[in-house]
Amino acid sequence: MIRIIATAESLSQAKALLEAGIDTLQVGGHPFGIRLPRALGLEEIEKITETAHIQGKKVNVAVNGLFHNEQIEQLPDYLTRLAAIHVDAITVGDPGAILTLEESGLPLPYIYDAGPLVTSARQIAFWIEHGAVGAVAARELTLAELKKIQAELNKPVEVLVYGPTCIHQSGRPLVTHYFRYAGLADRSEKDRGLYLRDPKNPDSQYPIYEDQDGTHIFSTEDLSLMASLQDLSDHGLNTWKLDGVLLHGGAFVRIAALFVAAKEALEAGTFSPTAFANRLRVLQPKSRPLGTGFYLKHPEDVK
Amino acid sequence: MKKIENKPEVLAPAGNLEKLKMAIRYGADAVYLGGQAYGLRSRAGNFTYDEMREGVQFAHAYGAKVYVAANMVAHEGDGRGADDFFRTLQDIGIDAVIISDPALITICFAAAPGLPIHLSTQASATNYKTLEFWKKIGLERVVLAREVGIEEIREMRRHTDIEIEAFIHGAMCIAYSGRCTLSNHMVNRDANRGGCAQSCRWKYDLFDMDGSTARSLIPEGAEPFSMSAVDLSMLHHIPEMIDAGVNSLKIEGRMKSIHYVSTVSNVYRQAVDAYCADPEHFTFDPAWEEEIWKVAQRDLSTGFYYHVPTEKDEIFGKPRKIPKYTFAAQVINYDPDTQIATLQQRNCFSVGEDVEFYGPGFVHFKQTVRCLWNENGEPIDRAPNPMMTVSMIVDQPVKPYYLMRKK
Repeated sequence: MIRIIATAESLSQAKALLEAGIDTLQVGGHPFGIRLPRALGLEEIEKITETAHIQGKKVNVAVNGLFHNEQIEQLPDYLTRLAAIHVDAITVGDPGAILTLEESGLPLPYIYDAGPLVTSARQIAFWIEHGAVGAVAARELTLAELKKIQAELNKPVEVLVYGPTCIHQSGRPLVTHYFRYAGLADRSEKDRGLYLRDPKNPDSQYPIYEDQDGTHIFSTEDLSLMASLQDLSDHGLNTWKLDGVLLHGGAFVRIAALFVAAKEALEAGTFSPTAFANRLRVLQPKSRPLGTGFYLKHPEDVK
Repeated sequence: MKKIENKPEVLAPAGNLEKLKMAIRYGADAVYLGGQAYGLRSRAGNFTYDEMREGVQFAHAYGAKVYVAANMVAHEGDGRGADDFFRTLQDIGIDAVIISDPALITICFAAAPGLPIHLSTQASATNYKTLEFWKKIGLERVVLAREVGIEEIREMRRHTDIEIEAFIHGAMCIAYSGRCTLSNHMVNRDANRGGCAQSCRWKYDLFDMDGSTARSLIPEGAEPFSMSAVDLSMLHHIPEMIDAGVNSLKIEGRMKSIHYVSTVSNVYRQAVDAYCADPEHFTFDPAWEEEIWKVAQRDLSTGFYYHVPTEKDEIFGKPRKIPKYTFAAQVINYDPDTQIATLQQRNCFSVGEDVEFYGPGFVHFKQTVRCLWNENGEPIDRAPNPMMTVSMIVDQPVKPYYLMRKK
């Protein structure tokens, strides 16, 4: 059975996403969740969870940052609260957080999510042995690799089918540093809408922003695997993630609804990749080109 | 009287066998190197098994240790042969392997039980619970992420007794190591499998969008945006590193020269020994700093140890000019009766030039090249040929493996 996970930035967007047919909402807050569409407080997470549960849907909470001592100390309390809210799972990438969760004995399943580090079945098997109920695959994997990975595992490997890819996380405020160097008074938050361009690649346009976790840079393209959904499903890659970290409100919900429709068509045997890809192109913001990232590359193409 | 219970090791990079030996002669307690696969420095002179054997033999004779970095993040198929690799390393007598990927950790445990494993900085260990996690798994040591502050290390030490290794000198990733795939996305080279193209140090336009038009924010005449960190040096803070409970002080740079590795090892050997010998009366010797600048390639800072770096810890535009010293020759023999040293040339030098000799134990002296003879004992004005053997009169006694540099 195909399950679609989508990020939610608010209770109202969460409701709209559930309405659109999303199976699992991914939410999170500071200081534990990283690269979220918006950081949510526990009260908001609780309301979203209640709403989702009434409809028989699920909520995952991102606890996927790299934690320093200070955060790890606050973590047991946060986990206790998440368990009390009855969220369905958390995503975690910090081994210290995994140990904290294990020691807490809380009934909180975790999905392993360590960004670009999650690259092989054997590695994911290590985390499954240490309690993980699934894993989020690195965006830098090819479909050929993903198929092999899923074939070897009896837990779901989550694949990004729509959204931007984070390609750099620094602990330093790199944009602020440049502003200071250049004598500019400007903002560097996500809503400021800043980009980098590599002069050698005129089509490049890397979104960049700062928050309390540092600086984040994203890929030029929004990934779309719309045309490959059949292939994913045929190989048991049935957990699809839609990431709205850079796309907000109804625009993201409409794209999520299209992926739900694609899933339904696929299940009904009426899926047309070209038709759906064309419909996605209409909904896609003009400032963000669509691409297939590493998925359609040959593993040998990456040195 | 204050006594140092836990004297840390000075850990130096060994880009090849020659550098391994130099690092150890110049005071490193341990070195780390890469094998033919599973590492992250595809362009560093990586070791064959035979070279590792020779390196281990040499190191162990000095009481020094040899670690092998196998810190790639493996994709499907990359782990093939890793069991043989780890088994062979154990047979060779390698003292530990440095790994970041749990897949390779699993393979290593199974193939070479008892071979100590150190968690690579690529895994970004930033809190004491993470250290405890890896201790429970059975790792001997964790190399900390470069984003960890010294107060955080003290806190870690209060919570766990796993060995802590921390960087004290060298170039730094500006990202959390392992969490940067700029090279993957920009040039199809996997940063976590040895393909890092140092895209962070490139120049970029920084802009916003006005509708569909890009508006550059780079002011007229200003340098473009970049993400280029200056290098790390904790030379002034060795006592704090030791008191915080760090077990291994790591110098970055498997790609660096013999000149660099010998000089940096020599300096940190002095600083660590001086503090541990008499912590209460330790004073910083300005000669150490002077020496470090002779091989510095960028400005130096303390990274994240005291605060999040500022814009001063980054390079925009042309880096500051640092007086450049060149490695000129290596001593291969010395005759105390004639005061004549036989040298192997490494860079051209001439009669009349001011040079500096240095050796293990922080021995230094400067002199002018007064006369030069070639292999046949004929006087020459300059030594232009790579690796040629020459001899000259030296003002003070030297020993084999002393090095000669010039400005």
